[in-house]
Amino acid sequence: MAEGRPSPATGQPPEIDASVAHSARVWNYWLGGKDNFAVDRTVGDMVREIFPGIVDAARHSRAFLGRAVRYLAGEAGIRQFLDIGTGLPTVDNTHEIAQRVAPECRIVYVDNDPMVLVHARALLTSTPEGTTTYVEANLHQPEEIVRRAAGTLDFTRPVAVMLLGIMGHVGDEAQPRSIVGRLLDAMPSGSYLALSDGTNTSEAVVESHRQYNESGAVPYHLRSPEQIAAYFDGLELVPPGVVTFTRWRPDPDAGPPAEVDGYCGVGRKP
Amino acid sequence: MTAAQLDGDSAGGPTVRRMLLGAQLRRLREARGVGREEAGWEIRASESKISRMELGRVSFKERDVADLLTLYGVVDDAQRDELLSLARRANTAGWWHTYGDLLPSWFQSYLGLEAAAAVIRTYEVQFVPGLLQTADYARAVIRLGHGAATAAEIDRRVELRMARQQQLFGRPDGPRLWAVVDEAAIRRPIGGLAVMRAQVAQLIEAAARPRVQLQVVPFRAGGHAGSGGAFTILRFRDPDLPDVVYIEQLTSALYLDRREDLDQYALAMEQLSVQAEPPSRTPQLLAGVLQELDAALAG
Repeated sequence: MAEGRPSPATGQPPEIDASVAHSARVWNYWLGGKDNFAVDRTVGDMVREIFPGIVDAARHSRAFLGRAVRYLAGEAGIRQFLDIGTGLPTVDNTHEIAQRVAPECRIVYVDNDPMVLVHARALLTSTPEGTTTYVEANLHQPEEIVRRAAGTLDFTRPVAVMLLGIMGHVGDEAQPRSIVGRLLDAMPSGSYLALSDGTNTSEAVVESHRQYNESGAVPYHLRSPEQIAAYFDGLELVPPGVVTFTRWRPDPDAGPPAEVDGYCGVGRKP
Repeated sequence: MTAAQLDGDSAGGPTVRRMLLGAQLRRLREARGVGREEAGWEIRASESKISRMELGRVSFKERDVADLLTLYGVVDDAQRDELLSLARRANTAGWWHTYGDLLPSWFQSYLGLEAAAAVIRTYEVQFVPGLLQTADYARAVIRLGHGAATAAEIDRRVELRMARQQQLFGRPDGPRLWAVVDEAAIRRPIGGLAVMRAQVAQLIEAAARPRVQLQVVPFRAGGHAGSGGAFTILRFRDPDLPDVVYIEQLTSALYLDRREDLDQYALAMEQLSVQAEPPSRTPQLLAGVLQELDAALAG
C-alpha cells in the first residue's frame, strides 16, 4: 500500500515504482506468483534467508483466509465482505471462496496501490448473482473506506471486515486499534472482524523485518500476539480465539499444526 | 503434480506439453544434481540441446526421455509412464495443423502458447486485438498485410482467426483476455466506416463477457509506457512455467522469457493498465465511438 492516487494537480496517473520492494509484490513472490519485479525477489530472498519460515507463514496466512471466509459465508451466514488490503490476486481470492458457498455474496476489495487495483478490477470478477467492486482508499481513513463501500454494501446488514496481513502497515502513532474500532463502529450488530498479522514471536522474524524495513520498502510493523488479540476487544471471539494461523479451525486432515510467527482470529460484533 | 495437471490444458496442444515436460525434466535433473553437460552426454546430445529441451523448444524422442529419467533416478513405473506419455503427446499436432501452409512456424508456436494460456494480456496500438476482431475487420487487417494473396487464401486466414477465437472463448476453461488498447485502435476505421461500426458494436458485447477485460488508453493520456508498440504477455497456470512475452514483427516474432526482459515488459504492461481508463469506463467510451460512426455513416 505504497503508491498514491493520481495527483489532482497534473492528472497524471501514479507511477508504478519497480525500484523499491513493494509488500504486495513481495508477498506474491513468496506465494509462488509471477507478478513481481527483480527488487521484490531480491528483498523477498533476503527476508527468507534470515527467516526461512516466511514462505510457510505466507501460505498459512492465505489458508486462514480460505477457512475464515468459508466459515463466515457458511456457518455465520455472512453475505457481505469488506476486504481491506486486497493484495495481488492469487488462487482462491475472497470473492471466489465466498461465492462458492453463496453465489450472491457481495465483496468490496479495498487497496491503495494502483497495480493491485488494476489486477483486482481485471481478474477478480464476480459471479452473475453477486457483486465485486474495488475501492481505492487508504486504511488510515476508515470512514472514507466505509463511505465508498456503501455503494455496494448495505451497512444495515452484517458485514465481514477482513484485515489480513495489513495492520502492520499502520504505525503505532497512527493508532491501529482505533482504526479497527472505527471500521467496526460503522458495522451493524452481527458483523464480523477477521484479522491476521505477522507477530514478533521469534528473533528471526524480527530481524528479517528490520532488514525489510531498511530496504526502502514501506515499513511493516510486527506486533505481539497480545496486541493482535486486542484488536478483538469488545467482540465475541469465535472459537478457538486468537491463535497462530495454523491453529484456527484447521481442516480435519491438516495434521499437526506447524509453528508460524503469525496470529489470527475471527470475532463477532455483539 | 497429477496426471491431469501434466496433461496441461488439453486444448493447449503440443507446445505447452513440451514446456511442461521440459520443466519436469529440469526439476528432476536439478534434484539429482546432474549437470546439463552430463545429461547431454547420456543422450548423445549437446548441453544446449538439453537447455532447449528443458525450455520446451524442441520435440522429444521418447527414448531420450527414457534415458534421462533413468539418469535422474526416476525408476517408479507410474511416474515414468506419465512422463513418457506426455512426451508422446507432446509430438502430436495442434488444432491449427490444417492451416499449416499459411502459418510460419513462429506463429504456430504462438498458437500453441496462446491456447495453453490462463491469462492473455495484450497491448495494441493500431488495431483491435486479433482475438476480438470481427471477420470483416480481420479481413481488412489481413489484406493490409497480405496484399498479394488470393481471395481464397485471405478467406482461410480470416477463418483461422475466427477459429482461434472459438478455441479460446468457446470452452469453459478458456483463458482470460485482458486487453489494453490505444484509443487509436478503436477509432481508426479499418475496412471503412460500416466495418468499423460492426467491430465497435462487437467490442461492446465482448467487453461485457466475464472473461474479457478491455481498457482504453485515451489520447489525452499523452505519452505513455507503450510507446514501443504492441506486445502480448502470456501467463500459464503451471507455476513452473514463466510468462512469455510475444512481439510480432513483419516477418517473424520475438519470444522473451528471460526474467529481465519479462520484468521490463511486465512493468510497461502494468503502467499501461494503470494509465488506461478502468474496464468499467470502456462501454461508455465505445458507445461514444459508435455514435460518432453512426453520425458519419448518416452524413
